[in-house]
Amino acid sequence: MAKNLGGFLLLVLAISICEAVSIFQPISDSHRSAALELFTPADGSFGNLEEAYEALRTFEILGIQGKPDISTSSCQSVSETLGSSSSTTNGLFHALKVNRILKCKIDEKIFQGITSRLKAVVNDGNSLLDYYYSIGSLVLIKDQTSGVDVLLGDANGIFHSIKALSQSDGRWRCSSNNPKSSTYAAGLALEALAGVVSLAFSDIDHSLIVTLKNDIVKLFDSLEKYDDGSFYFDEKLVDAHEHQGPLSTTSSVVRGLTAFASVISGSINLPGDKILGLAKFFLGIGIPGNSKDFFNQIDSLACLESNRVYVPLILSLPATVLSLTKKDQLKVKVNTVLGSSAPPLSVKLARAFISGSKDYSVIETQELKFDPENEVHFLDVLPKSIDVGTYSFVFEIVLHDSVDKEVYTTGGQTQVPIFVTGIIKIDNAEIAVLDSDLGSIETQKKLDLAGENAVLLSANHLQKLRLSFQLTTPRGKFFKPHQAFFKLRHETKVEHIFVVGNSGRQFEIILDFLGLVEKFFYLSGRYDIQLTIGDAIMENSVLRAVGRVELDLPQLPEKAPQPPAPLVDPYSRYGPKAEITHIFRTPEKRPPRELSLTFLGLTLLPFVGFLIGLLRLGVNLKNFPTSAVPATFAFLFHIGIAAVLLLYVLFWLKLDLFTTLKTLGFLGAFLMFVGHRILSHLASTSAKLKFA
Amino acid sequence: MPKLALFLILIHFLPFLCTSFSPENPSSRRVLVLLDDLALKSSHSVYFKSLQSRGFELDFKLADDPKIGLQRYGQYLYDGLILFCPTTERFGGSIDLAAILDFVDSGHDLIIAADNNASDLIREIATECGVDFDEDPAAMVIDHTSYAVSETEGDHTLIASDDFIKSNVLLGSEKIEAPVLFQGIGHSLSPANSLVLKVLSASPSAYSANPKSKLSSPPSLTGSAISLVSILQARNNARILISGSLVMFSNRFFRSGVQKAGTPTKHEKSGNEQFLTELSKWVFHERGHLKAVNIQHHKDGEADEPSMYRINDDLVYSVEIYEWSGRSWEPYVADDVQVQFYMMSPYVLKNLSTDKKGRYFTAFKVPDVYGVFQFKVEYQRLGYTSLSLSKQIPVRPYRHNEYERFIPAAYPYYGAAFSMMAGFFIFTAVHLYNK
Repeated sequence: MAKNLGGFLLLVLAISICEAVSIFQPISDSHRSAALELFTPADGSFGNLEEAYEALRTFEILGIQGKPDISTSSCQSVSETLGSSSSTTNGLFHALKVNRILKCKIDEKIFQGITSRLKAVVNDGNSLLDYYYSIGSLVLIKDQTSGVDVLLGDANGIFHSIKALSQSDGRWRCSSNNPKSSTYAAGLALEALAGVVSLAFSDIDHSLIVTLKNDIVKLFDSLEKYDDGSFYFDEKLVDAHEHQGPLSTTSSVVRGLTAFASVISGSINLPGDKILGLAKFFLGIGIPGNSKDFFNQIDSLACLESNRVYVPLILSLPATVLSLTKKDQLKVKVNTVLGSSAPPLSVKLARAFISGSKDYSVIETQELKFDPENEVHFLDVLPKSIDVGTYSFVFEIVLHDSVDKEVYTTGGQTQVPIFVTGIIKIDNAEIAVLDSDLGSIETQKKLDLAGENAVLLSANHLQKLRLSFQLTTPRGKFFKPHQAFFKLRHETKVEHIFVVGNSGRQFEIILDFLGLVEKFFYLSGRYDIQLTIGDAIMENSVLRAVGRVELDLPQLPEKAPQPPAPLVDPYSRYGPKAEITHIFRTPEKRPPRELSLTFLGLTLLPFVGFLIGLLRLGVNLKNFPTSAVPATFAFLFHIGIAAVLLLYVLFWLKLDLFTTLKTLGFLGAFLMFVGHRILSHLASTSAKLKFA
Repeated sequence: MPKLALFLILIHFLPFLCTSFSPENPSSRRVLVLLDDLALKSSHSVYFKSLQSRGFELDFKLADDPKIGLQRYGQYLYDGLILFCPTTERFGGSIDLAAILDFVDSGHDLIIAADNNASDLIREIATECGVDFDEDPAAMVIDHTSYAVSETEGDHTLIASDDFIKSNVLLGSEKIEAPVLFQGIGHSLSPANSLVLKVLSASPSAYSANPKSKLSSPPSLTGSAISLVSILQARNNARILISGSLVMFSNRFFRSGVQKAGTPTKHEKSGNEQFLTELSKWVFHERGHLKAVNIQHHKDGEADEPSMYRINDDLVYSVEIYEWSGRSWEPYVADDVQVQFYMMSPYVLKNLSTDKKGRYFTAFKVPDVYGVFQFKVEYQRLGYTSLSLSKQIPVRPYRHNEYERFIPAAYPYYGAAFSMMAGFFIFTAVHLYNK
């Protein structure tokens, strides 16, 4: 619960940024355009009459003319709902609400029928919602037609039975057999009771009204508060099913309260700042994103706009950032919550103090002038004592008419944060390299921080670098900015940032490189110098590259810390990589074909020479066996040799080793046999010859 | 009895009710939104509506609701998680830091919005995602030169930034004209994490400090090192968006006009809606989610995939890549998809040509090195899910009979041998039968 509240608080803070003191703007045109966006009927009509009512009522309050025309379709479903005998009180209630705005043509008889049904519900109702819807419907019928008698005979009794559901702390139970009470129900009950009072045939017992007023005061004791002065109601018990957010709870109470206040005589004793706080709560929400919240916000604000307790007046400033150089006027608007004009009043600037020092006001109380044309209270020139800076201005609204004081609530004093900005003069900017021992200036350069600079300096670790400048406000005072950074960036993107401090009026930073060598990671080389001077109230905040300094630092000792690794560009992972093609092994170099063929010819020459030699010798084959058997063997022997040689050729051409060896085995055996036969035959023949 | 039957029927439907991330349908549908307060539902409704209109079911819960949980019976109930609860110190129910990290580790998406005064829990979650928020709880990003000009906000914490990451897949193809309004805390990216990226960075003059107190020492975060909005795509393609501002998602900032200090142009509407809506499309995988199917390779001129290649073979490789558009798979068109033929290191790395219908193909010659190779497609592009495809294929050397057989340079040798053989044949005959 506490967390829930905390969250909501944060939300509101986030919505209205200024924390402690907030400015609340009344409802404006941005609400109107948002309303048209939010309440767009899906294909010509709203889902149900409740949504239709919310849309119509919002348009009515905001005075939107060019609204989507839904009257025909809505009137049709209004008359259907009213005419049907099975419709619930809830349905009737919303139908009548729509009818109040659209004024559809409804037969008097229908009203009569409904009235009797509603009266029956009122008389034997037991839950708060029964009462709320039925009494609410009767009030609506009373407004819409005069021919029907809607007055309640036993108003006191009904008042009692509703009152019986109330709790001692001002909250209400939804029905007599449900022990849980809620603030939301209290709002409904108040609205129902207001209905009872207006429908009463005779006057309601005065003591009942008095107790109810006390109940309301008690209910307001449970009001919760934000830091920015807005008040709201929230349920103590968060029930997951029927949980109503702070917005709907608060708006329910506001509706009940204003309805009740409008029907009774005499005032309800509530402090005006609480009513104003409620209004601030609704305005602080900004523009809600859903139609239900939007309706609750606008409807509650409309209730507050014309209530009889107090009408809140909202003080708003079109601009809280004022430029001293442009001589902006301080303008203040006072409106009602819905942005309509306020009664005659004057706005006083009571105090103004520099934020942070609450006790000392820098100006005297003065009244703002009124521009009736634009309805703006303004201050012509800012007082001389106001220099640039952040201030808190305290405004006071004084109503001219004393009667108005009873009607309106202004919340006393309103504190508003004001930023007074201006152009800050930057003078005497110079950068110098000093000798460490003597402090004598070696090189000094003037800087123009309004324009570009390109100073080139060089220094070693025994020297110092000094940068100094002066800042003066438009009123001639010394100024200290929030951001005064001196940045040195090495080539390798290692950055060092120093805050420029001030001594008196002079801003000065002295970098003693001897003490900084370790911090600089002994990185010699070029450093870019950048100076940033900025503040929220400075209109000419600068970010300037001043120039460069060449630093000559000693060598990196062994144990010194290493400079951080240069940042890898995170996007480098993503690009496509360079293509890689495989480099194939180059085939061995071969002689040209012609050369090989020439050598082939050369290798064949001995064979040719051999053949020629044989012919020259006159070889013959006369020794070939003449008889049949040896001749066959000789023939087979040479066929065999030729086959072996052919086998070799085949081996070269296609055969593998195994086939070749197998075949060679057979051929070998065959050759051995026939070779033996023919050779032995030849040997015996030659032996015979020798012998002979 | 009918009740039991109904229960039995319902229990059969249970698996269908729990949708989860699937490669066939990568777009997450159910998103749990954890809020500090339910009022955020209305103040940030434009953002939520844009999600709902794209078909997401948002389940709004208070962050300290004791009934919340991310999974039940080992099944994740949600596909995405939005943490719009910067101040929550402890989640209700079964959700804690470990549960959220498990959720992301199982491939689900996450959006975190912090704010100044962000709780330690939210900071820890961010740190786990490689993002370090400024430790000072009161610090905000301040920028005195590129703030949003406003008549009511003068402390220059409302920043108009237009330093976007250059990526169409992240921010959509339409250029974001108006600067984005930001108000909140800055963060830096952890240098150890290479997956996290700055989407919106601060200007060089920005710094992160408490606007209400004077500065005595240099702030820890300065210049464009400050990231305002960052994204992360985990290795399992889970996507995370981290923003240092919750209010930048609000209707107020969506609708507000913006004028950056120092520029004369006043934009009617800030870039927040376009920027954050486009980013949410990316986060919930409506863009940049790729799938690769139909990986094929074969020898040139053949159609079937071989079990092995021989060195110096000519081969053709092709793959089809599609991108999820939120509704269907569309052909992905790019010219930088590369294939590697890889064994310890890439031997071949080649750009794939595309037919613009999703098919990517190329042809190359197998290197003359044998061993077990891989076809690798390592496609990592900014914003896209990474594709990492690999297919193993052995490459063998030539068989003994696959070498060249009749080399002209050897003809003299052949000639010598055969003339020798012929000579031998003649010689045998002459030697035996000469008289």
